[in-house]
Amino acid sequence: MKIGFLHSLIRKDEKLLLNEFRQRDGIELIMLDDRKLIFDLQSRPDVDIVLERCINHSRAMHGLRLLESAGIRCINTSEVARICGDKILSSLALKEAGVPQPEIRIAFTEASALNAIEELGYPAVLKPAVGSWGRLLSKVNDREAAESILEHKAILGSYHHSIFYIQKYVEKNGRDIRSFVVGDECIAAIYRSSEHWITNTALGGTATGCPVTEKLAEMSLRAAKAVGGGIVAVDLFETPRGLLVNEVNYTMEFKNSIQTSGVNIPAKIVDHVLRISP
Amino acid sequence: MAECPVCGGDVPLEKDIVVGELIECPDCGSELEVLTVEPPTLGEAPETEEDWGE
Repeated sequence: MKIGFLHSLIRKDEKLLLNEFRQRDGIELIMLDDRKLIFDLQSRPDVDIVLERCINHSRAMHGLRLLESAGIRCINTSEVARICGDKILSSLALKEAGVPQPEIRIAFTEASALNAIEELGYPAVLKPAVGSWGRLLSKVNDREAAESILEHKAILGSYHHSIFYIQKYVEKNGRDIRSFVVGDECIAAIYRSSEHWITNTALGGTATGCPVTEKLAEMSLRAAKAVGGGIVAVDLFETPRGLLVNEVNYTMEFKNSIQTSGVNIPAKIVDHVLRISP
Repeated sequence: MAECPVCGGDVPLEKDIVVGELIECPDCGSELEVLTVEPPTLGEAPETEEDWGE
């Protein structure tokens, strides 16, 4: 079986996956470096299935769509990438599936965004619609900060920074949950803790084990299904309202979660790819 | 072993390195990318771009 491995840089996560594939019998890995690929809308790479592990969202989404058009099954699908890569589309998918999420507002001008923040109340969180690793998130504590941040985003940012995604700040008591979904199973979860309000491990949050309770598994699977399913990581807040889904990540990073969760996450991913390969 | 393009120091390499792999120079701490395997050569890893992430 020929597995196309769509990638750019090979981080520790990709290396773990490559090593896992190499331990399996009958697998030929075809490396598809998105920095070298040229698509002509006609030819088809000689692979049976593609696993996407790009670092750029835009390349992943378009690369997957081009490969799908050539008749290749891809994990995740381009549609999952399109939805998960955009917080507005993600929130819509969650809402349409009835998955609880923090209250949000979307606005297209500084003035309407300011009104939206005032309506939500302080603190609020401004997030770029496309972005990851906790970058460029702003916790807005009062009107003066809101005016300043909105002006900076509108003037200094490219046009998509004036698509304002505003989330009501959720008091999470220093931690959130990252769960890992592979196919129909929630395979593992971790707590991400930090004294900073952003608990992302890319910004120094620490990971500890989190039991996969029935409620957590159910909510994680509902969130995964809402965005189209596949291999995703779900970020959740624990609140008095119950679990709220903050976002769903489609090129999930797991290197810091294997030891913490005690689950061989790359092995689970490879099992899934091989199970659904044509 | 390969030469760090930033500080010129020796960077030890695992046997199973692959093209595109990220490694860190033990001398200067620069993040490096494996450009070729045979022979092993290293370049500076690209800077983070706006749409990088999960």
